[in-house]
Order: sequence, then C-alpha cells, then structure tokens
Amino acid sequence: MPALYNLAVSRSLPSGFAVVGVARREKSHDAFRAEMKEGVSSFSRRKPIDPALWQDFERGISYVAGTFENPKTYADLRAHLEQLDGERGTAKNRLFYLAVPPAEFGVIMKNLKEAGLVAPPSTPGSGAPWTRVIIEKPFGHDLESAKVLNDTVGQTFDESQVFRIDHYLGKETVQNLLVFRFANSLFEPLWNREHVDHVQITVAEEIGVEGRGKFYEQTGVTKDIVENHLMQLLCLTAMEPPISLAADAVRDEKVKVLRSLRPRERSMVQENVVRGQYARGYVKGDEVPAYREEPDVAKDSRIDTYVAMRVHVDNWRWGGVPFYVRAGKRLARRVTEIAIQFKKVPHGLFRAPDGGISPNVLTMRIQPDEGIALRFTTKEPGQATILRDVAMDFRYGAAFGSNTPEAYERLLLDSMRGEATLFTRRDEVEEQWSYIDNVFDAWRAEANAPPPLYAAGTWGPEQADDLLARDGRRWRRP
Amino acid sequence: MSAGSATNLIARLEKELRELWSPPTDPSAIPMSRVCTMNIEVVASSHELLERYTPVIDEVTSFIPSRVILASMEPDSAGDEITGSATAVCSIEGGRNICSERITLRATGNACARSASAIEAFLVPEIPTALVWLGRVHVDDPVFQDLANDAHRIILDSMYTSLASLLHVVSWARTQANAPEISDMAWTRLASWQEMTARFFDNADTRHLASKITKVTLRQASEAGARLGPEPALLLGWLATRLEWKTSRLGGKIRFKRPDGGTVQIELGSVPLPPGIAPQTLAAVILEAEADGATMTGSIERELGSGAGSGQEDATHDADVMVWKLKASSCPPLEQRVRLGANKAAKWLERTLHRPKHDPAFDESVAFAEHIVQDGLTV
Repeated sequence: MPALYNLAVSRSLPSGFAVVGVARREKSHDAFRAEMKEGVSSFSRRKPIDPALWQDFERGISYVAGTFENPKTYADLRAHLEQLDGERGTAKNRLFYLAVPPAEFGVIMKNLKEAGLVAPPSTPGSGAPWTRVIIEKPFGHDLESAKVLNDTVGQTFDESQVFRIDHYLGKETVQNLLVFRFANSLFEPLWNREHVDHVQITVAEEIGVEGRGKFYEQTGVTKDIVENHLMQLLCLTAMEPPISLAADAVRDEKVKVLRSLRPRERSMVQENVVRGQYARGYVKGDEVPAYREEPDVAKDSRIDTYVAMRVHVDNWRWGGVPFYVRAGKRLARRVTEIAIQFKKVPHGLFRAPDGGISPNVLTMRIQPDEGIALRFTTKEPGQATILRDVAMDFRYGAAFGSNTPEAYERLLLDSMRGEATLFTRRDEVEEQWSYIDNVFDAWRAEANAPPPLYAAGTWGPEQADDLLARDGRRWRRP
Repeated sequence: MSAGSATNLIARLEKELRELWSPPTDPSAIPMSRVCTMNIEVVASSHELLERYTPVIDEVTSFIPSRVILASMEPDSAGDEITGSATAVCSIEGGRNICSERITLRATGNACARSASAIEAFLVPEIPTALVWLGRVHVDDPVFQDLANDAHRIILDSMYTSLASLLHVVSWARTQANAPEISDMAWTRLASWQEMTARFFDNADTRHLASKITKVTLRQASEAGARLGPEPALLLGWLATRLEWKTSRLGGKIRFKRPDGGTVQIELGSVPLPPGIAPQTLAAVILEAEADGATMTGSIERELGSGAGSGQEDATHDADVMVWKLKASSCPPLEQRVRLGANKAAKWLERTLHRPKHDPAFDESVAFAEHIVQDGLTV
C-alpha cells in the first residue's frame, strides 16, 4: 500500500483505479482504510501523508470479507468490482495480488476463474479488458513443487498474465545493470573472459531470522535468497545483449545463462559449495544469539544461514571465469553488490618500491547506498612513486536525491502496464530450481552433516575463505 | 553522547552523518563537500588518550580527507555500554568546505568485546583502511584481531607503545594469509637519520668505506642501563640489513660480522633526558670505518632540547638542531647543522599514511631488531 500511495503522489496511477482488500476477517471499508493509512504513515518514503491526496486516494480503497475456499467470497468480489467499474472507471481491468502462502494459490485461482473474474489474455494497449496476477516467492521449494505450482497457476492464467515478483529486480541499480552494460560503450567490450578475472556477488544481511524461525527451518538461505535474488543478479551480470528490451527478449537471455551454469553434477557440489550456520557473536556492537537459540528453531538444526558457491557460466563469453556468490544472515554488514574484478596488468612496471598493483574492481551496489564504484590505482603526490587505490564513486542518492522510487513502486506500475521484463518467467524459475536442486541432492547425500558454524558478525565460515583461497583469490570486505 | 543498544546508537549516528550532507537551508552558507579517501580507525586504551589524540587526527584529515572512527576501550570501567557521537571536520578550500567525517565511540566494561563490530559498521567500502593503535598491542586481543584482519595497514608508534608491541604485531602478521602492512611512526621519524647517515658515503672518496665500518656508536636519551629503545634498535637494524651484516655471539656478547668477515664493534650509550623529549629518543650516531689506510669518522648528534630556543614559527620544544660531521683522511673535515621540523604527531601520522604499502627495508630492519633485542641490549 505505501508503494501504491507513492505512485499516487507522483501521479503515476491511472485515473480509473481502486484497491480492494480481501481477507477472512470482517471489517468495514473505513476500518480497512484506517489500517492502510497507518501502514502508509509508517512505511511510505513520502512522509508525512498529504491529507488532501490521502482523502482522494482512500476513496478508491475498499474491502470484501470472505474465506478463500468459499465461492461466495468471489461472487461478492465480482459484484463489488463491477460496481467499482461503474463508479471509478476501472474498465474491467483486474490485477490480483496474492500475498498468501503458495498452498492457497490453487483454491484462489480456481475460484477466481469459476467466478468469471479472469479475462482471456489480451495484448497490452489493445483496449481490451485485462486480467493479471502477481505472485510472490517462494515459487515452490524445489523443481518438482515449482512445476506443480506453475501448472496450478497455468490452469487459470496464461503465462503472459502471470507476474512473479522478485523485489530485487525493481531496485534501481539492478535495472541500471542493463543500462550500464548496454548504453555505455566503455564497459561491454571488457565484459568477458579476456578482461574479467572473476565476479563476486554478495547478498549479506546483518539481521537474523527475526522471529521467522519456523519459516526459516523450512527454507534456509539457499532457498530464500540464492535460488531467486542471487540467481537473477547472476543472470543480469552474465547475460548476452538481448535483441530488444521486450520482456521475452531479456528473459530468453537470462534462461540461456541458467542453462549454462556449472556445477550440475552432485559430485562437484562439495568442492564448489560451502554452507554455514551462524553461532553467537557481535553485530554492530550488540551480542546476538546463535541460530539454534532463535525461537522456533531446532536445537540441532542443520539449516543453512550462509552459503557460498563457485559457479561457472559455461559459454563463449565466460569460459574459465568463476562467479563466486554468497548469501548469508548475521554477516558483518548489510550489503548487496556485484563486483567485477578485472585481470591484473600483464607486466608489473611499478613493482618497486611498492608492492604489487591491486586489480581494478567495478562494483554495482544494490543496497544500501545504491550506486556504482570503480576502484583503480593512482600515484600519491610526492617524489616517490607510491601507488594507492582510490575509488570513483557514483551514488544514486547523491546524484539524483535520496527520494528515488522503491522497488515495489516500479514493479506494481509495470504489472499494471503489462510490462513483464522485471518479472520472472516460468522457465526461469524452473531452471533456477533445477540448478539448486543439485546442491540439495548433494547435501542430502552428506547424511546429516551439520553445516560449519560461523560467529555472527563475521563474513561466514572459514571454509568459504578456503573456497577462494584454493583459486588464489579472496572475498571482498564490502 | 548516547547509551543503550549499540545497534540503535549506530543507526542514530548514521542518520546524523546523512543529515550532515543535506543541502544547507541557508543559500548563502558555504557548501560542504564530503571527501573520503580512506578509513582511519584509531583505538586508544582510554578516553583521555583519545581526546588528546583527536586534534592530531583532525589535522591529518585536513590533508587526507577520511572517514575517521575514534574508539576508546576501557574494559575496567563501569557501564558495559558503547556511546558515541558523529561530526564533520572541515577546512575551507576554494570557497568550499572540504569535510571529513569523525565518529567517536567509547566502550566501557564488557561492551569492549563488542566494539570491533561497532567500529566496522562505520567503514566506507572500496577505500583503504588504516588502523592506528595507540597503546600496547596484544595480538591475541580479539578486538585487535578483528580490526587488523580487515585493515590494509596497521600503524603503531613503538616509541610510545613498545618495541615489543611492534615485534609482536610483525610476528603476528607473518602468520596471516593476507596480512595488512605494518607501519611504525618511529620508523618514519628515522628517515632524516637514515638520509644523513647515507650522506657519509655520498662522496666518491668515502663510498667504499660503507662496507668497511669498524664501529657503530649509538646514544639514546635515557638513564644509563636502560633498554635499547625502538629508534636506536631500528636504526641499527637498518644499518645492518642495508650493509648485510650478520650477528654472532662470543662470550655472551653480540657481535656483527661484515660480508668480508670483518667485525663491527657496537657501542651503546646514553645522554641525559631533557624535559619535553620522549624517553629513549635517538641522540647520536657515530660511524667509524677503515680500509687500506683510509679512515673515516661520521657523526650525527642531536642537540636535545634546542628546539625551544629556535624562534621558528610553529616549532616545538623538540624541533632540535642536528649536527652532522665527517672527518675522513681523504678530504677536509665537513660540518653541517640542520634543524628537525616540529616533532608533531600529525606530521608523523600523515607521513606514515603516505609511506609505501610495502617497505622491505622496514621489514628487514624489524626482523634484525627482533634478533638483537632477544639479547636484552642496554645502554
């Protein structure tokens, strides 16, 4: 709701617009509006709420009570939406946002269809009424369940009507990856095995499971972060130039990357993947508990709260260039970034009197402080040739103001426009799971081996350092 | 200053730092430009020491704009908390305020164990990090280990900590896979001694005598019988390693052997310590050499305490005169007087931050100093 309000403030919403909440609990339209106002007041980036704008915005907010299993809920919803079509000019266009567990998808979609709430697919801009559905991750918990889920969705909606939301893809820097690569002539010629030594992708969080122990015990970081966010970042970094920015053109290229990932064999997982689980430690000056001390977590849990992987993209562009990816909870700091480390200079002209020369690194920082930095070596002023690393730093906040749109604003607007480039297609999801399933198969074969522990507030277990040390490399300290 | 959860403190300080860089509401105000070329972490064993050192750091950041995190750790103090504040330190250049950010943290009691993670939360990525450790270093201290592992350079001043601290840190660094560079401000201060010592052999008539030194006399400002201080020890290490001397022992006494097999006699002595001069300061170096009938005696003597009467602007008490003398059989006696610059901590820290990342002469001199210190040399 804060994202929708922000879109209203920026006059990005269509004039015919309404939001209808559907849930079990009985409540009045006004009560629902009051709840929404409280949420917007707390979480909108545009504070305080503009009373005049809110008054107008809340007229479009209403509520229908009912259980998901009961067909009457959908009949009531249909009647309400038809009323809104007349009152607010919503022209029979429907965008369903399912903020519910995946287990509920089947019954909701079946009932939506049977209530006549799903129009056939239409071409954006054709003027025909459209129906779309937004679903949130997890898109299954393995390849098989993802296929079942996709089949369930596919029984009601055409793939062109399905918008699988991954909020990472709505972040400015992620979108800017395509612009940066394909709108600048400087970098793309270097974006290959000839010039890149390796790539590091980090999705690090300082927080623990934050009361979601029950959920985390079923997922772990590999399923929660790597399978979706991290794989998508890898795809956008490694993909070939698409023939256009049309949704399928971009997604076709991402799928090619996913299909070229190695390792695929279970036997190779052990030497390429390291998992870990956080123990007690210090984060930002406070002592924090071990994962196994968190509420709703088993005392002997073997769930991964950290994973590091060496991934190869077996194609002409990236042959021999490792992609080191890692994700974890309770790490030293919250940061998501893609770092392209270029090869060292071929000849050490400046070896004396200083030590070696650090390689250039291009960093795309996704959060926090979204921006791009290029590290290069320069001479310190003075008589001697003393080399020092410096960074050219571009920050979105400093360059364009800190009030840049949030990811959900862009993604919700795109889904209303029918623009699916920043959403995940069925085959992407299934390829991601296909790759990750190999990892879990190997872990299962390890017969209950507990994951190595790492102290909270550090950068993960020692084994992760060893993974890179074997290649003569080391993790960044972002 | 504020107390409570360190996470809340860090969030508040980060907010304050962001607000520092908001555009000024007064259009006539001088705009502030945030400049940051490195992170400087300064860790002190008491808040008082940190407060004394803060103006030093402010002066350094006027030359090297940085994100500075000053932290004091007082594990024996009551409180078990981390408090802190953030501010900008600016100097006007070209009509703009060029500003560094300074964060001050104070950890007391058991909270000291958590202080490394609080300090690290403020590091700016992508730029070098220097850890300045004021006070004795214990390499098994987890706070030191955490900060040192993520630093590119560790800076000590062995004159004010101890030579042992320096040696421990260097030994520790040798065991680390990706060790930071170790720098010592005492070594930086020796640069003028090294330069003037090398001048004895600039002349073609004396150059060959560099490999024929027969005696080295070193004097430090201390009581007789005191341990050999860091400055004389490092200078001796520098001389020995540059001239490829080896140590040997005879009758329990340490001796130096030249590559040609000749012996170098070492004489260590002391001079009175005047007020305002750091104990164990290097006071004099005398080199004697002889080969094929040619002789040379070169001496550098620091007139300790002469800085007070220099009349120079900005001079400190120890901005002393150094007297350089060369007596050689092949040339007339030469004498030159030079004045050391003001002995200001900011100058030495700035110069140390600008030194090469890797300094083989320093590494080798420290290794040599470690070797001779084992003998417990006294003056």
